Amino acid sequence: MNKLVFCIVLVMFFFNASAQNRFLTKDAKIKFNSSTPLEDIVAESDQATTFIDIDKNEVAFSVLTTSFKFRRALMEEHFNENYMESSKFPKAKFFGKIIPQIDWKSRKELMANVKGELTMHGVSKEVTFNARITPGNDKITASAVLKITPEMFNITIPSALRDKIAKEVTINIEAIYVPYNQ
Amino acid sequence: MIQIMRKRKVFVIFLWIFLAGIIIALSATYYIFNMPRRNISREKPVYTLNAKQLISEFRKDEAVATARYLDQTIAVKGEIKGIRTLDNHSMVFSLDDEMEGVSCTVDSVDIVKNSAILKQFIKGATGSFKGRCSGMLMDVQVINCVPE
Repeated sequence: MNKLVFCIVLVMFFFNASAQNRFLTKDAKIKFNSSTPLEDIVAESDQATTFIDIDKNEVAFSVLTTSFKFRRALMEEHFNENYMESSKFPKAKFFGKIIPQIDWKSRKELMANVKGELTMHGVSKEVTFNARITPGNDKITASAVLKITPEMFNITIPSALRDKIAKEVTINIEAIYVPYNQ
Repeated sequence: MIQIMRKRKVFVIFLWIFLAGIIIALSATYYIFNMPRRNISREKPVYTLNAKQLISEFRKDEAVATARYLDQTIAVKGEIKGIRTLDNHSMVFSLDDEMEGVSCTVDSVDIVKNSAILKQFIKGATGSFKGRCSGMLMDVQVINCVPE
């Protein structure tokens, strides 16, 4: 009985400890650019959800692919129906580690590497990218840029359109995290 | 002479048909290229339900609920627990729970059009929205919403 109580207290302690060190935002911005001289292809979602766990130095992202807004409705339709196949794969996700261990007590802007697994279109790939992080007590600001190719995620682009879409897609991420105590 | 005139007539008719074809093809391409966005305010909701129901369906089986609701126009009603404005000037109304409830996003254009109703949508009030379900993260997201 005592053991059981001890276990419950221990679990609660760890749960509590980790909960206080999590930062969250549901309004992170993810913008991607695959423009070529032939066509401007830029899309943005303002509703990505992302966590940072400062104890574990971990970061997680997820975004609904139908939340990306394009300049033209036709581009949105192509993106969701032909390329991302949003009805089959409605989310894009990332989970990874921030390297090296960040001094979360610092108040200066830091550069770090983020390494982890990016899953979209049903394919998971390991990616590494640079991030700019400004730690804080009541908020953490972060931005990152990563480059991927559609082919990495088995996204096939018809040859007639291949020249209109950049070979490498640049993804910009901006997030302002606030403490999450739940 | 008559034969030449007849040939010319046939040629002119063909030329007109050809030109009409080109004009139709060009305007169709132009329309598709600049096709208008879905106007949710003119669409009838496929499902009408309250926020609690929608969340519980997604929590029970996300894959089944996603297959049912993704990209469908739905009408959802619930207590407003949180209101926030995004950088792109859209407004997000959280129904039932601020973190894990239903997030209804109203685009800036629709905020202007529906400002009178939206003024009544304050924290604690009951909000009712029609929009397009885009799936679940922590919350169930409904985008391109208009108040009802």
